Amino acid sequence: MKIKRDLINFNDGLALESGAKLDSFELMVETYGELNNEKSNGILICHAFSGNHHAAGILEDSEEPGWWDNIIGPGKAVDTDKYFVVCSNNLGGCAGSSGPLSINPVNKEPYGKNFPGVSVIDWVNSQKLLSDYLGIKKWHMVMGGSLGGMQALQWSISFPESLNKVGIFAAAAKSSTQNIAMNEVGREAIRKDKNFMNGDYLHHDIRPKSGLKTARMLGHITYSSEAIMDQKFGRNFQDIKSKIDRDVDYEVENYLQYKGEKFSDIFDANSYILMTKAMDGYDASFATNGDLEKVLSRVKAKLLVVGFDSDWLYPPQRSKEIQLAAMNVGVACSCVILEGEQGHDSFLFASQRYVDIVKGFIES
Amino acid sequence: MNIELKNIITNWIPNESKVIDFGCGDGSLLKDLIDQKSVCGYGVEIDHIKIQECILKGISVIEKDIDEGIQDFESSNFDVAIMASSIQCLKEPHIALRKMLNLSKQCIVTLPNLGFWKCRLDLASGRMPVTPNLPSSWYETKNLHLCTIKDFEKLCENEGFSINERFFLNDKGNKSILSKNIPNTFASEGVYLLAKK
Repeated sequence: MKIKRDLINFNDGLALESGAKLDSFELMVETYGELNNEKSNGILICHAFSGNHHAAGILEDSEEPGWWDNIIGPGKAVDTDKYFVVCSNNLGGCAGSSGPLSINPVNKEPYGKNFPGVSVIDWVNSQKLLSDYLGIKKWHMVMGGSLGGMQALQWSISFPESLNKVGIFAAAAKSSTQNIAMNEVGREAIRKDKNFMNGDYLHHDIRPKSGLKTARMLGHITYSSEAIMDQKFGRNFQDIKSKIDRDVDYEVENYLQYKGEKFSDIFDANSYILMTKAMDGYDASFATNGDLEKVLSRVKAKLLVVGFDSDWLYPPQRSKEIQLAAMNVGVACSCVILEGEQGHDSFLFASQRYVDIVKGFIES
Repeated sequence: MNIELKNIITNWIPNESKVIDFGCGDGSLLKDLIDQKSVCGYGVEIDHIKIQECILKGISVIEKDIDEGIQDFESSNFDVAIMASSIQCLKEPHIALRKMLNLSKQCIVTLPNLGFWKCRLDLASGRMPVTPNLPSSWYETKNLHLCTIKDFEKLCENEGFSINERFFLNDKGNKSILSKNIPNTFASEGVYLLAKK
């Protein structure tokens, strides 16, 4: 598989939904496979909240395979032998695209908490500029899971002529009250970390790691399901030798400690707040005063909506709402609810039926 | 689905209408209706393999158990709802028919006729009927509510459904004089276009 990673500069900048303007910005982009002569085989992957541009394969020996490596690759559901697959780190992230860790050209200091708030619509607009840069007038498909699924949906609304198909997995047309509530607990953990310094921690050369860790531990619980936690850890005790912390009793505690710790090493707290705010703020029907059908009536692409039974963060009902609103206004839309025992995270795993459906939809 | 039946259904579907096919199977009827009548079509199916076939054909398919209710779809304003050879498999066919006519102006229903003479012969000889329209053995069949042509038309009368058109096919899948004139005995399958009175 041919993999390329590029940092692409957009000197014309971007007017943001909030009214602010980024005078210039950069997107970190990975591509897999090759664009055909007609430039008709492009598939754009939108990552979830904490994901990044590294969706598949391995570019450097030291790194792990991309976050959707079991879905994207030669012969896989998203077949890189046939399609030119693109994934970019969202604006405001912390994996290379412009965000709170980037240097503000005005004062030559990191933006930190002053990086402007961005929205799902801003991400789609920035990716439209990326499409123009790549010379892709029409994506064969735009797809993603969770927040990435919301972004894919917004693509079909913002630029109906610029894509043929849309894949919306474990997502919703808007964040629910419960989603916002969960995110607020995570943000509160970060804000109350004494190292957060009201978002100015970069100036003090410290990181609010403890708050980030707590936020991520809660996150992992919401991404999982009762059944999979039982199955993976049960009530097993962590053995003494591999305990991360001596206060830990159970395997599940140790797992959350480990995952939280790892995340707090690599993720930026201001990005965390910015990304979760973007997620909370998303409502596809905001511009039409809550009328989802009205906003979907402009969609021209074919939609595939996939929900997972064990997902309680974006439960199957959220998928069915998108399907019904689309059908009410005559937009082509398929909807399947898969068993997926991994909870919200199910969209990341390549179960046979999921792979068949996604591959079938892409190649139909 | 045989050609005669497909032709009957296709002729009843207006051009560019909005159609929902309950129990759409592999989506081949919807595919024909999209190709020939430019319909805006949706299929509802529960079988995983058939859902996959629909997706491969590019048909919009919704995974759903019709018995769990289709009232959600009332907001979709369909022109025609189709239920081909599935009505007898539902837990409450009469309620499903009511709901179909709530979400669609017209409704096409096809059903096997238990009054067909070969079924009567099978029963008279002491065996459960097995015919081209009722191919499964009693222990394998998904049919829960089999009825005769007379039974079905009585239900339509009781429920206040108007039968706008109907055709009767013999066990070769053809319209014949016998199946037309004495359907309760000589039709293997009934095909109905229903609407609310």
